[in-house]
Amino acid sequence: MPPIIEVKDLTKEFRTFRRREGVLGALQNLFVREHVTVRAVDHVSFAIEPGEMVGYIGANGAGKSTTIKVLTDILVPTSGHVVSNGFVPYRERRRYTKHIGVVFGQRTQLWWDIAVIESFKLLKEIYEIPERDYRQRLDMFSDLLNLREYLHTPVRKLSLGERMRCDLAASLLHNPPLLFLDEPTIGLDVVAKDRIREFMKEVNRTEGTTVLLTTHDLSDIEELSKRIIIIDKGRIVFDGDLGQMKKRLAKYNQVKFFLKDRSQVAYLSRVQSDGIVCERVDELTYLIRFDREQHSSAEVIRQIVNTLEVRDIFVEEEPIEEIVKRIYLSGEVA
Amino acid sequence: MKRHLRLFLRYFAQYTKVRLAYKADFLIAFFSSMAATVLGFGFVLVLFSKIPRLQDWSFNEVMFLYGFSLIPLGFFNVVSWNLYDFGELYIIEGRFDRVLLRPVDTLFQVIFEKFRLESLQEVVTGLAVVTICLRRMHLALGVADYFWFALMVACGAVIYLAVFLILTAVSFWFEDRVGIVPPVFNMLNFGRYPLTIYNVFIQFLLSWIIPFGFASFYPTTHFLGRNTFAVYFHLVPVVAAGFSLLAIVVCNRGVVNYSSTGT
Repeated sequence: MPPIIEVKDLTKEFRTFRRREGVLGALQNLFVREHVTVRAVDHVSFAIEPGEMVGYIGANGAGKSTTIKVLTDILVPTSGHVVSNGFVPYRERRRYTKHIGVVFGQRTQLWWDIAVIESFKLLKEIYEIPERDYRQRLDMFSDLLNLREYLHTPVRKLSLGERMRCDLAASLLHNPPLLFLDEPTIGLDVVAKDRIREFMKEVNRTEGTTVLLTTHDLSDIEELSKRIIIIDKGRIVFDGDLGQMKKRLAKYNQVKFFLKDRSQVAYLSRVQSDGIVCERVDELTYLIRFDREQHSSAEVIRQIVNTLEVRDIFVEEEPIEEIVKRIYLSGEVA
Repeated sequence: MKRHLRLFLRYFAQYTKVRLAYKADFLIAFFSSMAATVLGFGFVLVLFSKIPRLQDWSFNEVMFLYGFSLIPLGFFNVVSWNLYDFGELYIIEGRFDRVLLRPVDTLFQVIFEKFRLESLQEVVTGLAVVTICLRRMHLALGVADYFWFALMVACGAVIYLAVFLILTAVSFWFEDRVGIVPPVFNMLNFGRYPLTIYNVFIQFLLSWIIPFGFASFYPTTHFLGRNTFAVYFHLVPVVAAGFSLLAIVVCNRGVVNYSSTGT
């Protein structure tokens, strides 16, 4: 099957002007503007297969949202080619939007003042959803997302988590083959996050919906997608399997251990040696991060148990947050 | 087309429901709208208590003009609500993204998402004033005139809307909006008096630059039997079509600019 989304050499530049400060500066701004061109997305290419769930991540300002906005036809690219679900988004806007669902975590797509169910009914008209499909999907979403109790509440009275669930249901009412989620779990508590993730998995499994999601919460990615694309300063720095990324990019392992009692703290320095440094987690919990190439876990553990009295000891792989943090900071993939 | 008509009815019904849910709020809006209308007519009354005629226009004629212009203005006011803070709400706050995400015409969505219902009062008041004036002047409209009347009302509303759409579209280019809408809005009331009382410059301005004269003054001359402006009267639909075309082009350009800059 051909890819459902194909992005080739996508570049998007913004032209803004530098604002001067103060009253005089504001006056000056009216007449003379210093223009600055910012390249938000720089020759980005990727392809997504039907039914995939792909995590698209990057630090603030890395170009995630810009990419999503091009794919959802809000922005026209400066150069490059985009074909999504057989359409060139910014050329065939109205026909294309019928085939996509979009959720922006930061702001709702629903009408603020009217009851959720009324918003849904309007969307039914807008997307020309047949009555039977609408009923069936509304039922299904109400069950899966537990919407029933506030279907008749105006959107502005909902909590963030409730609103998010409604937004998600709204974006899928017309059964789009493609779903774009821009930070869908932002600001949500653990339970709400979990419910949304479960729902996404269910929809992906039963309907084969292709999902591209951006997030800052890497646990979203671990829960949902096998594939991860990392963008940094407008360029893609990694595109591949999540497991592969760990294998390729995890440099460190970490050993976490719990001291038997406080007296042991004094001996901590004895464990430390070249490339092995103790970090304090809390009073009795300490962490040693070490380069996997230079030391083996066995060696580090031996060192610890030989010099200290410990209650528990765990070996962990470097968490994906740490790997990603390193990429954001250094901007390159070793 | 049929789909958009159905959607319009949906949007309208929906909005009406929301609006009427807050009864006090709606009543206050209704009465203040009514008060503004009454004040407008009050001004004409005061004016004519000091002077017998305005140039060669009688009291009844001026009232007719003022009443007539209220009808297209009322329709315009009903749908123009979103245009006032378009830059603020849609561009700066970013609601326009949502508009772009839906498979419905962008202009349609912006105009019909909110209705100033209380302005329907202006349509009714305008019709009443026009009827009374015609009776007082012993003028009767022929069958063809009813058709012209309806067409002129529609054209007038379209002209008002087109002018303000063009001004609104400016927000697509300039985030920090220049205060251009309020002065133009005030000029709208200039067009509700006989254009001939103004100097040539303003007459030209209100005819060809900001064509408010074509929305109110020129149409009424026909119904009042003043045939000096017959050519202008027949140009009304042309001006309406021309300006709405211009408005659509400018708005579409604006949308393209928005998408390429993402301001």
